[in-house]
Amino acid sequence: MEAYGLSKWYGEVIGLNNFTLEVRDGITGIVGPNGAGKSTLFKLALGLITPSTGSMKGLGQVPWRNPALHSSIGFCPDYESLPDEATGREYLALLGGLHAMRGPSLSGRISEVARLVEMEPALDRRIGGYSKGMKQRMKIAGALLHDPELLILDEPLSGTDPLVRKELMDIIRRLHRERGHDVIVSSHVLFEIERMTHNVVLIYKGRAVATGDISEIRDLIDKHPHNIVIEGERVDALAKALLDEGFTVSVAYNQDRKGITVQVSRPDDFFNRLPALIEGTGCSVTKMYSLDDNLEAIFRYLVGR
Amino acid sequence: MDITKALTGIAAITRHFLKKLVLSRKVFITILVAAFVAAVMGYAGAQNGVGTSDGADLLDVLILFFFMPVLAMIYGTSLIRDEIDDKSITHVATAPLDRGVSYVGYYVPLALTVSISMVVVNAAGFLAFFAQVGLGGEALELWGEFTALVVVGSFVYSALFLAVSVLLKKPVFFGLFYAFIWEGFIGSLPGAIQKVSVKHYLRSVGSDWVDFGSIASFADATAPGASWAVLAALAVSLVALGALLFRETELT
Repeated sequence: MEAYGLSKWYGEVIGLNNFTLEVRDGITGIVGPNGAGKSTLFKLALGLITPSTGSMKGLGQVPWRNPALHSSIGFCPDYESLPDEATGREYLALLGGLHAMRGPSLSGRISEVARLVEMEPALDRRIGGYSKGMKQRMKIAGALLHDPELLILDEPLSGTDPLVRKELMDIIRRLHRERGHDVIVSSHVLFEIERMTHNVVLIYKGRAVATGDISEIRDLIDKHPHNIVIEGERVDALAKALLDEGFTVSVAYNQDRKGITVQVSRPDDFFNRLPALIEGTGCSVTKMYSLDDNLEAIFRYLVGR
Repeated sequence: MDITKALTGIAAITRHFLKKLVLSRKVFITILVAAFVAAVMGYAGAQNGVGTSDGADLLDVLILFFFMPVLAMIYGTSLIRDEIDDKSITHVATAPLDRGVSYVGYYVPLALTVSISMVVVNAAGFLAFFAQVGLGGEALELWGEFTALVVVGSFVYSALFLAVSVLLKKPVFFGLFYAFIWEGFIGSLPGAIQKVSVKHYLRSVGSDWVDFGSIASFADATAPGASWAVLAALAVSLVALGALLFRETELT
């Protein structure tokens, strides 16, 4: 997938803004907070909408008014799009018909993809009775049915419980490793993408703010101070000890005085040194979390705000 | 364009939406309309001195004048517009089919569903009336003629309301205006103005077939051949217009 100077406006709302990107083979993660432009990018890639300016190509072809391209792309949308009144098998048969698949080869393929996403036992149940996780699997099965070269999965993990997330992540990894599909998968949770691929594009407010290996992006992120909250007993001693460390930018007591917020310039050094500091000061930590797990905060760092 | 692929795609969409429409809650509206028409015609048929002409007039007013455009509007303005609004159209829009071809896949089940509904409503009214007046040869002939008229009308009105639902985000407002004001009122005015309604051409075709009631002596009727040509051209051009609009619509 290639995009050059791509912009899309919906009236006065900007969906994508001068967006440039080249997606490589394999699994690519598109990460960004809600409203960043991920779904707009996918709609442009599928030819559902047309760019306001710039150019977009999927598998070397312009998507708008190019239905033939859909033979090579499978799409799993982020919204509820399945017909509740149909069974899983009927839904897949509809998609097969749309791809000119018929007869025993279609029936065989339906069973194959249902097995792949572990939905074979539920194929003859009504979709309206499926759980969220089952619906996500069925959407992935629909995207896979015509054996596309490229799979575009828009937030396939959203709304699912941790167990289902893990299973879906395993399925997505297998689709590339065992079946050879190139996959573009979006999420607003960085660590989920990290579990599937190291090849990541970060989108924020319609722009690609960072592209490449996730470790390079982590390096970029790590150049900015991180805020970590520590709560527990005798944290004032820990606060004093932290102020002597080179990676500490600042330490502040929280409003409830139950804990401190530490701003650090090198999170890895902080986390490596922390156990020794806790032991040395005799404090007991009951809770610790990073305020910067919030993706929005990371993106603000990356765009220098 | 690969014709086999296109036909397979149209057949898949048609099967899916025919089932969806036939099993939808809108079927209850058809049942209610059929019951209403049956009640009205049943009551009329129970009176003394009524005959085939009265039955023809009732079918003319209740079905051709009123319920056919209304039912077509109810089914037609929601089918593709609901899919666009709730984004379930993605499956069709991301298939390797020209969107113009996919549009035909929406039109066919819509026209079939409206036709089936109208045939049912027509049959309910007919049976309620003529079961009392007499189910003779001329009554059955009348039933066949009105059945043919409602099928033709269903295909034309379906083409109109489906195209409108692609063009407008709130097609039901246009649909209500068209069904009640345009077809119901303008189409009933004397003189040339009624020629801008579908009903006029349906009644003109009907005046050539039906030998009973006011439709048989439709004074302002357009020649049957010209009426057929107008109805066919209208249906084809509206399907083509809808397909073109659907092709160019951004599915946000």
